[in-house]
Amino acid sequence: MLRLAWSSFTERWPLFIGAILTVTLGVALVQSSLLLLLAAAAQQAPSGADDVTALQLAERSLVAVTVLAVTLAFAAFLAVFIISSTFAFTVAQRRRDLALLRLIGGSHQQVRRLLVSEAFLLGATGTLIGIPAGVGLMHLQAALMARLGFVPESFTGHWHWWILGVSIGVGLGLAVTGVLLAARRAARVAPLEALRETGAATRVMTRGRWIAGTVLVLGSVLLIGLAGVGGPAGGQAMAMLVSVSAAVGFTALSPLLVPFAARLIPARPGAVLAHLAKANLRDSVRRSASTAAPLIVLVGLVLGQSTSLLSFSAAAQEELRNSTSADLVLTSAGPRGLETVDGTDGIAHLSIETSLPISVTTGTGEMAFTEIGRALIIEPERYSRAHPGSTTIGQLPAEAAIAGPGALGTPVGSTVGIRIGDIDLGERTIVDQVPPTIAGGAAVLLDADSVAADLQDSGQTTTFITLEEDAKPSEVVDRLQGFGTVLTFEEWLTSSAAAGTTTSASILLVVMGLGGAYALLAVVNAVVIAAGERRREFAAARATGLTRGQVITMALIESSTVTAIGIGLGVLAAVGTLLAVVTTTTATLGTASISVPWLLTAMLIIGAFLVTALTSAATTITGTRQSPIRLLQSRE
Amino acid sequence: MGPSGSGKSTLLHTAAGLERPDAGRVALGDTDLSAASEDQLTALRRSRIGFVFQSFNLIASLTAEENVSLPLRLAGRAPSAAEVQQVLASVGLEGRGRHKPRELSGGQQQRVAIARAMITHPEVLFADEPTGALDSTAARSVLELMRSMADQGQTIIMVTHDPSAAARADSTLFLRDGQIVDHLTGADTAAVAARLVSLEA
Ligand SMILES: Nc1ncnc2c1ncn2[C@@H]1O[C@H](COP(=O)(O)OP(=O)(O)OP(=O)(O)O)[C@@H](O)[C@H]1O
Ligand SMILES: [Mg+2]
Repeated sequence: MLRLAWSSFTERWPLFIGAILTVTLGVALVQSSLLLLLAAAAQQAPSGADDVTALQLAERSLVAVTVLAVTLAFAAFLAVFIISSTFAFTVAQRRRDLALLRLIGGSHQQVRRLLVSEAFLLGATGTLIGIPAGVGLMHLQAALMARLGFVPESFTGHWHWWILGVSIGVGLGLAVTGVLLAARRAARVAPLEALRETGAATRVMTRGRWIAGTVLVLGSVLLIGLAGVGGPAGGQAMAMLVSVSAAVGFTALSPLLVPFAARLIPARPGAVLAHLAKANLRDSVRRSASTAAPLIVLVGLVLGQSTSLLSFSAAAQEELRNSTSADLVLTSAGPRGLETVDGTDGIAHLSIETSLPISVTTGTGEMAFTEIGRALIIEPERYSRAHPGSTTIGQLPAEAAIAGPGALGTPVGSTVGIRIGDIDLGERTIVDQVPPTIAGGAAVLLDADSVAADLQDSGQTTTFITLEEDAKPSEVVDRLQGFGTVLTFEEWLTSSAAAGTTTSASILLVVMGLGGAYALLAVVNAVVIAAGERRREFAAARATGLTRGQVITMALIESSTVTAIGIGLGVLAAVGTLLAVVTTTTATLGTASISVPWLLTAMLIIGAFLVTALTSAATTITGTRQSPIRLLQSRE
Repeated sequence: MGPSGSGKSTLLHTAAGLERPDAGRVALGDTDLSAASEDQLTALRRSRIGFVFQSFNLIASLTAEENVSLPLRLAGRAPSAAEVQQVLASVGLEGRGRHKPRELSGGQQQRVAIARAMITHPEVLFADEPTGALDSTAARSVLELMRSMADQGQTIIMVTHDPSAAARADSTLFLRDGQIVDHLTGADTAAVAARLVSLEA
């Protein structure tokens, strides 16, 4: 079987390039992300660093680990998804070959073994390229993470020999599991199919597709509804998930949706080429579905994630504006000396808030759970004046704390343990809570009197200042310059929104980059395979009276139509996320806050059309170079 | 023989166990093909039945030798080089074993297909218009090859449009509308052609 697999592999390698490249990309990404993930998780504070610095580093590496874990998960998800659909298409294109094997005495098992052996060879080739590519990618990824500020400049991944085993396992595993389903179906091919000139239209819409597609699409609808009651954090997660699950669901249903959409696209009566192209689309369901699928995932993922990111960051800013009352904002390293400013000329009121990294332990004994988070050191009375509607506690006892806007699982009445490295801030009872916000924030609020002053000085302090009616802002600003950076409230809002979104923006960057790379591979692959298999069909069309130019135009119309349908379904998936954003923001803010990345959308759409049009034109032009009669005469 | 659409291919496929009859029984020797399982039919294709078709259906990525030895390999038995050479020689393709199908002419490709069918020494060789895609010279030599195989005792069931091809057979059945309507033995080209014309009328 391996011999036969090898010969068809060497003979028909253009058919397999896409599959090899997807395996390569999968192996490289998983290997690089895994090595970096380990390095990030193992980061140590330099010896001699104080407790706050050490905890800050731990906080940063937690973000780095999150970004890498998301990369790893998306890389694995896209690899499985794209590899299995690429293999399914590759196998489907060869049904006639497989039927022939059955005709001359091959059994089901042998056909299956042949396909699995082929996948094994493809996987091995992909792994062989993927491992060194992964080493290069690791440096690139580390540099990118350092540039985005998640890790120090000196951060590097370390090569471990055991990763070879992981990469080989991933490569071969991805390829073989990717082909299993397609191989099982293909093995059932009837020998008679070898005798049909044009491969019989096989049923593309399988039961598995029906079930997966329906469940995922219904799940998305459910998520849109639930996003409103999931709270700000839950709502955001659900909104982001909507477009992922809708896009995958649409992909599963694409053999049904794509021909249906093609029917809806109007063609002028008398436009022969357009009619021919539409007929082709409806007829070769598998081909059009295979081309549309990666586009649906790409557009759905990228637009869905970026829309929710932008909208939630706009909503967070809106929320912050509504819940804060200040004219000036002073940011400084620690609160030292700020007390002296209070009550001086022009300042009506101020709230000094210092943020410190902490580890929070909830539960006791076996159930104890420790998390890294932030404590906001405040004076409760001043805090509630600067943040109307937040809390009404006037005096906070030393052994108490308020659950902050980013608190998770610390209801009023529960007890939490708070530490900064070796410094124990004690067991504290949660006596009140401020409403959770979209932007998240501190896990607990502590009274300034209950935290040592020198410890506070190692934190980052934000002071919200309300001016007196007749104060001259410029004079106050001048007086405050010595303490830190002074911004007007609006300036501060803009800068804090930008800072708050770096984590999600980098995750988005990762998702877009990965999604884009995979989708590009899959689309180009589908178009190339399809055009290669259609040489005879094109020749027949030309023998019937179409010119070469007309054949190329027809193929272009076809690929553009499929692209339009794929983009349309992807946009529909993104609209799902948009609806979930509306329900979430309406529930937390009272009004819907949405923001759509129009430029990105336009670029994505134009890019998708360009790529499919160019690939399709290039492959059709080479595919029609030979004279049609020569092609029609040679049967094999 | 029979007009286009009369059911020739259907009858051949049913007889070879590629299609199942809605009613009736197909027997090869004392094996009931209509009741055989997929696995039993696969085993039959490896040992007792051979096929040749109008399109040669060779595997493009394999050489002639490899194509010919494939059925035995699928059956789990690697034929010796001499065995493959001998079968190729018997169809007049000495020295062509290392060529890929596309490097061979249509007639030669059809001979490879015949060699591939013959390597298992089938009880019956089924052929559906084996000369349909060949020019007349190539067609004649393929027919001669099949005739000489039949003379050596090989059973061949062939579907054809061509009266001169039918005339090489020992016995000819005529079909129309899915029914066997006539039967000639040892007829010459003119007699077969006349019968065909009367059927198509
Ligand atoms: N005995 C039968 N009962 C019912 N339907 C039949 C029967 N024989 C043939 N048919 C149907 O008739 C159609 C044509 O049959 P087939 O392809 O076998 O014709 P043919 O003689 O091989 O034609 P051609 O010479 O064009 O190859 C097929 O759709 C087949 O299902
Ligand atoms: Mg026929």
